[in-house]
Amino acid sequence: MFHKITTPQGAAATAIAAMMAIAPTLGAASPLSNDPIRLVIPFGPGGGSDITARVLSATAPEFCGPRIDVVSMSGAAGLEAVNFVRNAEPNGHTLLVTDYGPIVTSGFVDDVDWSHEDWQPVMNFTEWLPTVYTRPDHPIQTIEDWVEAATADPGSITFGHASPLGIVHLPLVLFEMETGLENIHVPTSGGGETRSLIMGGHIDLGMTLPASIASEVASGELTALGVFAAERSAALPDTPTFREAGYDVVLPAWLMIIATDEVPAETVEYLQDCFMEALASPTAVAMSSRVNAGIEPLNAADSTELYMATVESIGNILREIGEID
Amino acid sequence: MLESFIPALYLAFSPEVIMFVAIGVLMGVTLGAIPGLSGDMAIAILLPIVFFLEPAAALGLLTGIYKGGMFGGSISAISFGVPGTPGSAATAIDGYQAKLKGYPNKALNTALYSSVIGDTSSDFVLIFLALPLAIVALTFGPVEFFALYAFSLLLISALTKGKVAKGVAMAALGILLAMIGRDPIGGSLRLTFGIPELSGGLALIPVLVGIFAVSELIIQLSKAWMERANRIMDDARQRAESLLGDYDASKDKLSFAEFRSTMKATWIGTTMGTLIGALPGAGSSLAAFISYGLAQRFSRNRDEFGKGSLEGVAAAEAGNSATSGSTLIPLFAFGIPGSATAALFGAAFILMGMTPGPRLIYDHTEVIYALFLILIYANLINLVFSHFLLPVYSKIAMIQSRILLPIVCVLAILGTFAAGNSVIDVYVLLFAGFLGVVLRMYNFPLAPLILGFIVAPGAERALRQSLLIGRGDWMHLLSSPIAIGLYTVAAIMILTFTLVLRDKK
Repeated sequence: MFHKITTPQGAAATAIAAMMAIAPTLGAASPLSNDPIRLVIPFGPGGGSDITARVLSATAPEFCGPRIDVVSMSGAAGLEAVNFVRNAEPNGHTLLVTDYGPIVTSGFVDDVDWSHEDWQPVMNFTEWLPTVYTRPDHPIQTIEDWVEAATADPGSITFGHASPLGIVHLPLVLFEMETGLENIHVPTSGGGETRSLIMGGHIDLGMTLPASIASEVASGELTALGVFAAERSAALPDTPTFREAGYDVVLPAWLMIIATDEVPAETVEYLQDCFMEALASPTAVAMSSRVNAGIEPLNAADSTELYMATVESIGNILREIGEID
Repeated sequence: MLESFIPALYLAFSPEVIMFVAIGVLMGVTLGAIPGLSGDMAIAILLPIVFFLEPAAALGLLTGIYKGGMFGGSISAISFGVPGTPGSAATAIDGYQAKLKGYPNKALNTALYSSVIGDTSSDFVLIFLALPLAIVALTFGPVEFFALYAFSLLLISALTKGKVAKGVAMAALGILLAMIGRDPIGGSLRLTFGIPELSGGLALIPVLVGIFAVSELIIQLSKAWMERANRIMDDARQRAESLLGDYDASKDKLSFAEFRSTMKATWIGTTMGTLIGALPGAGSSLAAFISYGLAQRFSRNRDEFGKGSLEGVAAAEAGNSATSGSTLIPLFAFGIPGSATAALFGAAFILMGMTPGPRLIYDHTEVIYALFLILIYANLINLVFSHFLLPVYSKIAMIQSRILLPIVCVLAILGTFAAGNSVIDVYVLLFAGFLGVVLRMYNFPLAPLILGFIVAPGAERALRQSLLIGRGDWMHLLSSPIAIGLYTVAAIMILTFTLVLRDKK
């Protein structure tokens, strides 16, 4: 009761889940005990990470064995969750589910007692593609309009984004580094506030993730200018990428399950296998499409490669803008 | 549209759905009454239930919890002076005084009726006026929000007669406490003194429960120790005393005349709550404080406020409950979650495969109509349940403090820990408790401090966003008619009422 335990199954269900788990994984002995697996998210409940993690917590017990709880810890701007996982026993039962903000960016800019090498990705859920958008009656409707207006009158366009240096702010920083354009950065409390400021005519542009504006863009209530990604977003098929417009700015945000490097390799492999198996199940696929989560799992090796690449690129941006030496 | 109404009626009034709404209300009232635990938390925990229940049943359960929790917060606010939820902080001011005077039942009933009236009216506004009100709400940008926050701070700080300076000082202290942590615009750390745990700032629940509740507990405890030292000579007398002391339940009934006397305050609360609830990001505690402040300004018995006034309870409770329907307006009209609760309802819709926004009502007419019906009748269920439970709660409120205090204390600590899964929050709770003791000893009003703490992050963001958008020009703050209007009303009110109050002396 006094933990934010967010699985629906009770104690009885745990037993059933444990029994069901014996069948598919009989070959390999499980390195996990019967204690629940905790997926710790460094954000408040109800957001994209929470919703995505819940798809896993609802489907994976059948494949992994123990019950899976989603625990939300947003304290200390997410660092409390990171430290909690860092200090937990390294047995694979306490895992972090996060985008690159609380781990890669914080690892650079905050005073933490761990480094980026102290973590190992277990699996990647999805890649979120940061998208620039505005209201349909705004004079800026395309990437070209934006560049033109910003060139004509530098520092005149107001741009809303969530917290500074977060996943929907760094792409703007990178874009300005590449193009030399200047905009007025207006930090907001999150996607909801950015959106009401844009719709109310208080700011010009904003950045968000495709799932949260897809239906409004389709019905013409919002305009998506461009996506900071190599390929177009499946949720916004008609929105060009910045690369298509001639600006090679690509900075997608992943959502990974991450363990500390002290967790044994075979445990990580077991978790990777059962998570990926669960997400490939018909129930998980149906749930993912229902909640617009766009889950396309990557295994541990590919996730690690992606993680290391992100550490390098974020490090470069932060050095360039003088946030770190 | 009408052809969807009949199936929606069947859906909303199916025995299963009614049962889930009732379970939700009971859970909400109980959790809301525990300091630190709120309906929002229960909704977050139970969110995955939408995978397993029919949409109407799941929404019924969540709605029930939400409404129950909204009222439940006032139970501990009145009974123990501990706001069970942030929204009920303003209820604690007069509610707890009323209890100390020996009439918790009157205060609780006032809270229940005003809460249900406020909530129901707000639901009707959501159903019939969502779109126009949402469009008005969108005209609130950073400039207008800063004016609203400044207005509310002035209103509350200047509330207590003869203590205006202390009130302003307390609001400033609240703002200072809220500035600990990450700067919302630049992202740099402020006032953390190198303690990494403070980088996320102080959480609202521990500060709120600490300032109001733990300080009260410490004071009560020391009183109890003093009394115990005196009474130890007279052991026999103490044993003879009944569990409830000299509380007489038969004298503690809310009369119709008393109920009618609170109606003006209730309607002020209902109106302000509905309007403020529709603004994305403003929140139920702000609505409660503004309603309380305005009700005091317009009351005939202004001097009773802060001393157990039922009008004060009614205004605060109607104010916070009236946000409950209208907080969903931006979500329904534009898909913008305007509050934590609205974000959770938004997540519930998404988990059910329904996208929040203007299309929601066209794409899922039956379920949304059923939700509208549930929103209305959940209030009735809340009214009936709580009506029968209140006498029990009033008796609990009057249990002697030597039994009650340890229980409340443990609940406060557990509830605070549960709200953020954080031990730091418990330290903050205790620290805030000691701060509260000091402030109470020197007669500083606590409400402005809490309001300052609640509105500071939003006010700072609004101010700095305004200045960013206005490119550093302070005159930009006066660029909106709404803002100018709010500043003018604030100025006129403070001037007139200060003068009126002075004349009376």
